[in-house]
Amino acid sequence: MKMMQRFLVFLAIAPMTILVPSGCSKSSTDGAPDVKVELRMSPDPPTVGQGTATVTLTDKDGGPLRGATLKLEGNMNHAGMKPVFADAKELDPGKYEASVNLTMGGDWFFLIDAVLADGRRLKRKIDVPGVKSR
Amino acid sequence: MSASADKRSAYADRRADAGPPFFDLLRLPGVGWFLRQRWARLGMQIPLLLLSVVLVWHGFLGPDLAPKNLATLLTWVHYRGLLVLVLLVAGNFFCMACPFLLPREIARWIFRPVWNWPVRLRNKWLAVALFVLLLFAYEYFGLWSTPFWTAWLIVAYFAGALVVDALFRHASFCKWVCPIGQFNFLASTLSPLEVAVRDLNQCVECRTKDCICGPPASETAADAGRLALPLLAKRGCELALFQPMKVGNLDCTFCLDCVHACPHDNVGLVTRMPGAELAAEEPRSGLGNPLTRPDLAALAIVFTFGALLNAFGMVSPVYVLQAWLSGVLGTTERAPILAILFAVALIVEPVLLLGLAAWWTRRATGTALSLPRLATRYAYSLVPLGFGVWLAHYAFHFLTGALTVVPVLQNALAEIGWPVLGQPNWEFTGMRSGSVFVLELGFLTLGLVGSWIVAIRLARKDQPSAPWRAYLSWVVLQSILWAAAIWLLAQPMEMRGTFLGD
Repeated sequence: MKMMQRFLVFLAIAPMTILVPSGCSKSSTDGAPDVKVELRMSPDPPTVGQGTATVTLTDKDGGPLRGATLKLEGNMNHAGMKPVFADAKELDPGKYEASVNLTMGGDWFFLIDAVLADGRRLKRKIDVPGVKSR
Repeated sequence: MSASADKRSAYADRRADAGPPFFDLLRLPGVGWFLRQRWARLGMQIPLLLLSVVLVWHGFLGPDLAPKNLATLLTWVHYRGLLVLVLLVAGNFFCMACPFLLPREIARWIFRPVWNWPVRLRNKWLAVALFVLLLFAYEYFGLWSTPFWTAWLIVAYFAGALVVDALFRHASFCKWVCPIGQFNFLASTLSPLEVAVRDLNQCVECRTKDCICGPPASETAADAGRLALPLLAKRGCELALFQPMKVGNLDCTFCLDCVHACPHDNVGLVTRMPGAELAAEEPRSGLGNPLTRPDLAALAIVFTFGALLNAFGMVSPVYVLQAWLSGVLGTTERAPILAILFAVALIVEPVLLLGLAAWWTRRATGTALSLPRLATRYAYSLVPLGFGVWLAHYAFHFLTGALTVVPVLQNALAEIGWPVLGQPNWEFTGMRSGSVFVLELGFLTLGLVGSWIVAIRLARKDQPSAPWRAYLSWVVLQSILWAAAIWLLAQPMEMRGTFLGD
């Protein structure tokens, strides 16, 4: 009887190891999914050191989105590295530019956090793979 | 000669070159007192189990950005770095505190395994295959950059230990399956601490051999009544290491079961010469003679060449090779390219290099040993160098990124609405990579010198009159591998670790 009780406890606990991971999902916090975001790095291909990140925001019709406030955060895809942060300035309509210092070669990604002129908040992740070492 | 004298002689042979232990960690106040307690292991496992739960939770439900997720950060930066550093300065304490074994103990409380591990699998071949599979999965799934798969790896590890040890008696998972355990066993041959008998004369008089058999049934029953937790029951070594015949750290998880079981308080955690066991000839309890075991030699080879391969995946020249292979094969599929690289690095290259070194030794010494036997014998001399490469690689990540845990933890707490540590301060990082490079060179050179010493010690036994004839080719091989490792470290780091970028 005691053996049976223990077995039932085990049966109750064991599936949780499967259910917890498979039942989870992550919700997106991007408040402007219709906005198209492009990131270009200069130099191209991107190289370790000081460079420029240019972000272009367009609406669903391809029109430039002016007046947004943009923050960029660059990370390596390997844990344990210090991120780089930059505020982007709008140089041309819908085109925002920031100076970034890529500290190591390898795969990077940029998190773009923008508040659009209409108040919506846009959050995107854009990969910048293969940053070359000098 | 009496039976006692026979035993005394046999036991003394095992530690012929060892005097009384210079230092015994278990004799220390504080740390020693803690480790002597029966609940000490449990006391280390429970926090690590809770930490594992946090890692799995954050891996599945936290941000899917590796630098901001506790699962990827703590697993691939902190755990690996601390593991090799603790192995270098102390011993196999991570196996001692292994959280994967707690669920298995609970499972055993329920199931009581009745099977013994199959005789055909009582070798390291399965563990070698799993070790290679783990290295392959690391590259293929980009584990360092994916919290989701890292969390799954942790869950799979818990499940593996649970299933194996729920079905099979003794520490089957640790001894025959666990790839991390095998890594720790090999690396701990270079550790300064060893679980060992304090006074072999005491073992000669011992009739009960509790260190391997466990305490008498009457005492175990009394324990069960006194202690609510069966996890704390005394038992003999589950890895079949009989203390008086045990040599070194291979297959020892530092569980200290023997320490608690010995009724004479005759087992300690003592200092010894790191690496000396790699050239030890005599048969040892639970292992036989490693120098004649091809499965253990294969593990040593994968350990060493795998270290170079793992580091190679982090530097820029790998991308030239990947592009060339991709062009030759006409595919950008990662699996076949990885498979070829793994086959070349872990099979072709070792067979050629060790075969050549063994051929030279055979030719120079005139030994009757076959090439595979010679390669098996001298493969252990590569372990110090292999450990040096792992140390250099993992210490780099740990030392340059140790403090990033602060903002990642701040961020994790802030995200669940409990910002008790404040907002993330991403200025926390670690040492500058230039400073760590000096340490990396030191680890590699220490490993090279250790490898030379092991090869020379083996050669002195094989060719006492002119040992250089036996060791020359191995010293040259080790030096070439060391130079290759230096070249790897000197390359610009490109932290991708994947052979085919997207």
